Order: sequence, then C-alpha cells, then structure tokens
Amino acid sequence: MNLDNDPFLKISESIENKYVQDWKNENKKVMGYYCTYIPEELFHAAGFLPFRIRATGHETDELADIYMVRFTCGFVRLTLDLALRGGYNFIDGLFITNCCDHARRMYELYDLTVFKKEEFKGRNHRFYVALPHVVTEGGFQWYKQEIIELKKEIEETYQLGNISDEALKNSIILHNENRRLLREIYSLRIIDKPKITGSEFLQISMANSSVPKEIANKELARILNLLKNSPGIEDTKKRILLMGSVVDNLSFIKTIEESGAHVISDFLCFGNRNIIDDVKIEGDLLENIANRTYYRMSCPRMMDDHERRFEYLKKEIKRAKIDGVVMQRINNCDLHGCENMLCEHEFKDLGISAFNFDREAFQTDTNRMQTRIEAFLEMIK
Amino acid sequence: MVNKIELENRMIPYKILLEALENTYELVDFILLDDTIPSLRIGLKYLISTIEKHIEEAREGLPIVGHHFAFQAEYLECFDLVPVCVEGTSYILSALLPEGVEKYYDLMENWGHPFHTCSSQKGVMGMTLDDLFRFDAIITPTGPCDNTYASYPYFQYTEHIPTILPEMPFLHEEKSYHFYGQQIKEGLIKLGKIIGQEPDWDKMRKALEMDNKSLKPQLELFELKKAVPCPVENMFNAMSAAMSVFAAGKQEKIDYYNDMLEVAKFNYRQKKHHGGEEKIRSIWPYMLIFFDLTLCEWLDREIGMSVLFDIFNYNFTELVDTKSDLDTMFYGMAKKGMDFPMMRQSTDFYYSFIDDCVNLAKEYQADCFIFTVHIGCKQFGSVGQILREALRDEVGIPLLMVDLDVGDQRMTSMQVLRDKINMFSQTLL
Repeated sequence: MNLDNDPFLKISESIENKYVQDWKNENKKVMGYYCTYIPEELFHAAGFLPFRIRATGHETDELADIYMVRFTCGFVRLTLDLALRGGYNFIDGLFITNCCDHARRMYELYDLTVFKKEEFKGRNHRFYVALPHVVTEGGFQWYKQEIIELKKEIEETYQLGNISDEALKNSIILHNENRRLLREIYSLRIIDKPKITGSEFLQISMANSSVPKEIANKELARILNLLKNSPGIEDTKKRILLMGSVVDNLSFIKTIEESGAHVISDFLCFGNRNIIDDVKIEGDLLENIANRTYYRMSCPRMMDDHERRFEYLKKEIKRAKIDGVVMQRINNCDLHGCENMLCEHEFKDLGISAFNFDREAFQTDTNRMQTRIEAFLEMIK
Repeated sequence: MVNKIELENRMIPYKILLEALENTYELVDFILLDDTIPSLRIGLKYLISTIEKHIEEAREGLPIVGHHFAFQAEYLECFDLVPVCVEGTSYILSALLPEGVEKYYDLMENWGHPFHTCSSQKGVMGMTLDDLFRFDAIITPTGPCDNTYASYPYFQYTEHIPTILPEMPFLHEEKSYHFYGQQIKEGLIKLGKIIGQEPDWDKMRKALEMDNKSLKPQLELFELKKAVPCPVENMFNAMSAAMSVFAAGKQEKIDYYNDMLEVAKFNYRQKKHHGGEEKIRSIWPYMLIFFDLTLCEWLDREIGMSVLFDIFNYNFTELVDTKSDLDTMFYGMAKKGMDFPMMRQSTDFYYSFIDDCVNLAKEYQADCFIFTVHIGCKQFGSVGQILREALRDEVGIPLLMVDLDVGDQRMTSMQVLRDKINMFSQTLL
C-alpha cells in the first residue's frame, strides 16, 4: 500500500499545519518541546497542544551558527535557525528538559534570541524539568516532585485553576490510545510481508507529534484500517533495524530504502522507542504520568540503562526477523555515538551484522552514504 | 607472596606520570634560575609528593578507584584506597609527556569512540583498554556533561568495572543540595561494599577540614590578582587546577597555595609582573589548554598578557561545615560539589555564568576574554555569542573564541592558537 500522498503523512513534510492553525484560531495554546521525555498528558490536560520541535526540510543554519559553535548538534542548530526565521512563531511556550546538552540550552537561547521578537510578547513562557540521569527509586521521587511543581507552575502561569484529575484521566486515555494505535501500525511494519515502510512510519510519527491527539487518533485508526486491508510488500530486500540519533529527515531513511533495504524496525525517538510504554489509569494519575516518563524505554541520556536497552534490541531483532542493524549518529551527538560504540561490539559478539556511521542532520553526501549502506547490505549473510 | 610490582602495575599511567613530573622538575631545577616560574617549581614538588604516596599505596595493595574530577578526591578519604582522577590523569599526562597522550585517544577512537567526545575521558579510557589501569571501582556524579553520561558506561558495560553514579541534579536550589548530599552518602556506602570497607566518616571529615584550610590562601591569592600588574604568573592557573584535582584534602594542596601566596605577596610589594610588563589583562572563562603549557609563559613574556582566571580558578565554593552533624556535612559537600569549577556553570542555566563573567571582568579590570571552545563540552557550545554580547554591552570589552581540543594538539595547533591570540592582542593595544 502506498501512503505517499496520504494527507496525514503529508503533515510531516512541513512544520505548521492546518490543525495547528485551527487550534490557534480557537485561541488555544501550543507548547513547543524538544525531547520525548515530556509529560505530554499533563500539557494536554492543561489545554495545550504539545508540538514537538523539528526542522524537517530546513537546510540552512546560518543564523543559528551565530549562537551555536560547530561542535553542536546539527538537528538542534537547524531548529534554532528555523525558529529565528519565524518558523515557530506559533508556539506559546517552550518545555525543556535536560535531555542532552544541545537541546537543554535552548531554554536560554529561545529566551535571549527567539522570544525577544515582538511576535512573542506575552507568549514567551518557558518550563524546565530536571530529569535524573540514572534509573533509581530516589531518582523517581525527585522526578515526581518536579512534575508536581511543573503542574503548579503551569496552573499559575496561565491562570488555569486546578488541572483536574478528570482532565488528566481523559488525557491519559487519549495518549494511551494514541500509542496503542501506533503500536498496531508498527506491528504491520515488522511482519513477514510488511504493509508499511519505515519512511511511512516515520512520517506518521512526525505528523502525530504535530497535531492534536484527538485528530491524530482518528487519522491513525483510518490508516490502520487501510493498512489491514492492503496486501503486504513481497520482495527479498534485507530487513533493517535503524537506531541512533533523532531522525526527522525523510530523505535519510529513504536513502536506506533506496539502497535495497526495508527499515522494518527502529529504536528512534521519532519512532518505536516512544510508543512502547503506557500510563496507568488507576491511582495517583500525576504519579503515573511521572512514572511512565521516567521509567519508559530510555535513550542513552540514561547512563545506567544500557543493558535494558540492549536486551530490548535483541528481542526486537528476533521478533522482527532483522537481517542487520544500521546505527547512525548526527555529528557531535556524544550520547548516541557512545551508545552505538557499545552496541556495535555487543552485536558483533552475538554475530549480528551492524553498521555504524555518522551523518549531518540534513541530507548531504547522499551518494557516499548510499554506497556505504549498499556495501553493508551486501555483506549481510 | 604478593608481588608489589604487579600491584603497582595496576596503575601504570601513574608511574609514567611520576617519572614525567620528576623529569620536568629536574629540568626546571637544573636549567632555570631559582626564582623562575615558581608556580611550576612549587607545584611539581607537591605533585611529586602526592603521586609518590599513591603509588606506594597501590604497592600496598589498596584498591584503585577511578573518580570523576567533579567527585572530589577528599570525599574518598573515608576509605583506604588509591584515587585516580580520570579527567585529570589524561590531561596532566597530555601536558607533561613530550608526545602527549594522543595515542590513547586514537586507540579509543579506533575502538569506535566518536572523535567529538571529550579527550579528558578518552585518554584514560584508552589506557584502560590498553590494560594500563585496573580499576576496582569507578565513581562519578551524573554531571557535568553529555560526555560523562556517554563515556562512563564504557567502564561499566565493556570493562565490567563496578560503577557508582551519585545523581547530581540540574539547577542550584536548596532541594538539589539536600538530594545530592544524600546521593554522595549513598554512593560512598555503595563504594565501600564493593571494595569491602566501611566508610570512616571521621577520616573524611578531617580531609574536608584540610581542604577547607586551603581555601583561605586560595582566596587571598584571588584578591591579590586584582592588583595591577597581576602579581600571580599564568602558570599558577594550570598548576592550581592540578593541585585541586590531585591533592584535594591533602597537606600538599595547602602548602602549594601558602607558598604561592608568599610569592604573590612579594611580587605585589615589588609591583612585579612575571613577564616584565603587563599589557593586557585577560580572563579565560573556560579552560587553558593542556597539551602545551608553554602557552602560559608565552602569554606572560611575549604578549604581556596576564591570565587572571581560567574556569578552574575562579572558585566560588564555600567552606564545608564539618562541626555539625553528618547530614549537614553532606549538604555542604553537595553544595561544594555543585559549585566546583565547571560544575557550577554546567548544572545551571547560562545566566549565572554570564553574571559571574561580567562581575569578574569589572572587579578585576579585565581588558578581554579568551574563550577556548573545547570540542567535548557541548554544554558550553551555545554560550559564546551571548557572553560576547554581555561583555560588550555591560563592560565594553571583546571576547575571542577559539575552537579546539584542550587535550589534543592535532585539532588546533599551538601555532594557530598563538597566531589568533597575537592578532587579537594587536587589536587591543
């Protein structure tokens, strides 16, 4: 089934979209955020549209270069550049966590550059949550307190009164349903005759983070029905799992596919890693939201959780019948660079074919990259 | 019978370090006049004494424990162990060995470590990969940077070294100090279980008291730097950083600062500048380079530029309260740890860093800032321009930014660095 022209997937190709405009026209607010370590349900319950900041299609960082040195992450530089050019004028606030050194500094840079613009007068609120770097009970208690304080801060900043338990529960149900739908779609990606490609799944995931979840769920259900009734892809292409730094660049994943592979599975934040865990709906709801965000399947910013991530990868490789793993990092991404290093050796010990390389955030050097990927695919036994 | 050589060979780089320190000291002592580069002469003397003791302790079979520079060595004094500062070891060897430690960076990069990570950790990682270190345990706070989160798992998951990770929260708030204090305590208890020792808090208290004593002469030295010309030579900064890391909680650190204070007082009375004439007063808000310490002398003598501070030398830590109960002491240790150079700036927003810089510039009559943008430190990668704007608007002084790797001469060579500083200086004079 070819979803190339599906209107929902098309949303991923731009930043602002008609659903955001409709939302704003109703005088509702949009909260920009960088990393999937966000208590999204809380912002939704407070009446916000959480919008994940990305820079799909944006290929210049001249303005951001003024503020960020060349050793910083190309993805974050592109997003700042886009924001400086007005690409994110529609946001009413910014949520930041200490996910990585590049993204966390957007707290100050938006304050001192982007939010200085006239368009942001009165809409320049920023929220910061300190997320621990190890997974422990003590760390969870810390994080829970941060989320409690965040709720209070949101309520006070926007004079919302109390964000009710009912609103939280509705948001949790909505977001759990969203993840369930995405998981179902994902399950059609990893079957023997996949019904959806890796690039299509990436588009769905990006679109999903750019529209209200109420809309997304309807669209995901529609796409799921289409996919269920479609024939699978029959060919003998190699089945790849893609992992590493954030990918918001469709051309990159398409390059892998055009090299002769199916990106059957992934371990990316715009992808599978973000839909694995749900929020419980019994008990203390705010604690449940904190629990999911803190204990969820981690990324390498959690420095003591490598074993759990690798165990998950091993299981997923088996479940999705993966032939080889492509590990990539955006240049200067220390977290994924070192995680990929560890995984590369561990895959080798297990006899799993793996290819590890670095790239720019936007598409460049395509021919060389494609040659290297083709060579890797040929080497897979 | 236990072979003592085998025991000390668990930390071969420290033996290399001792030899390098002794050779450098010998050169300084034989070749230079008595009063030349006193900070180097004094610093080397005390470093030799510290490292000799550590090697002796290794020979006695004490456990070798690697620690992040931000987990201060005096905290480890509650045990009988040999502390090895991961970041300090890479960089002091980078400074003292004629060939640097680039071969260990290369070893690690060949193993898959990205080129853009911090060389301070890459060096000791490479040495461990080469079996030159055999750590019994490693302890690091979860800070200050992505490189710490990214690189230390190598020790834990590949080298299978028990690794303890006290959680250091982001943001300087009361709750952070209480939380981190508890984390330090729990971390030390865990470490004790790994090495089979009970923590002796009284012993640690004494080490903290020793470190408290070193703060007074240190702060007096900083006061003297306000004088024009600056009576403290540039090399002091490099040696002071080494003393803070390797001799924390030890008599050697107190002696170093006391001796340097005497030198500085003498220079102050004589209105003497180490390079002859002070033409430019600079602040380096980040690091000096480590791969070639001759930069300090070159700046003093050839350019007439005083380095009033680098990041390891504008110290905002407070005395740790050792007289009250244990929890108060851990609270003080946490506060000190979070205010430690580089941690203070990395575990908070940029605002306080910029304020510190502006205040220092005014208070110390700086003419310029030189910002070495280290490839490893992504947490500082977005501050250069906003700091430049703040200094321009609030103090009216310029900032030079230089991209480099402070521990690897191949990225930006000494010659390139000198050329840039030379040209920048001409615009100031």
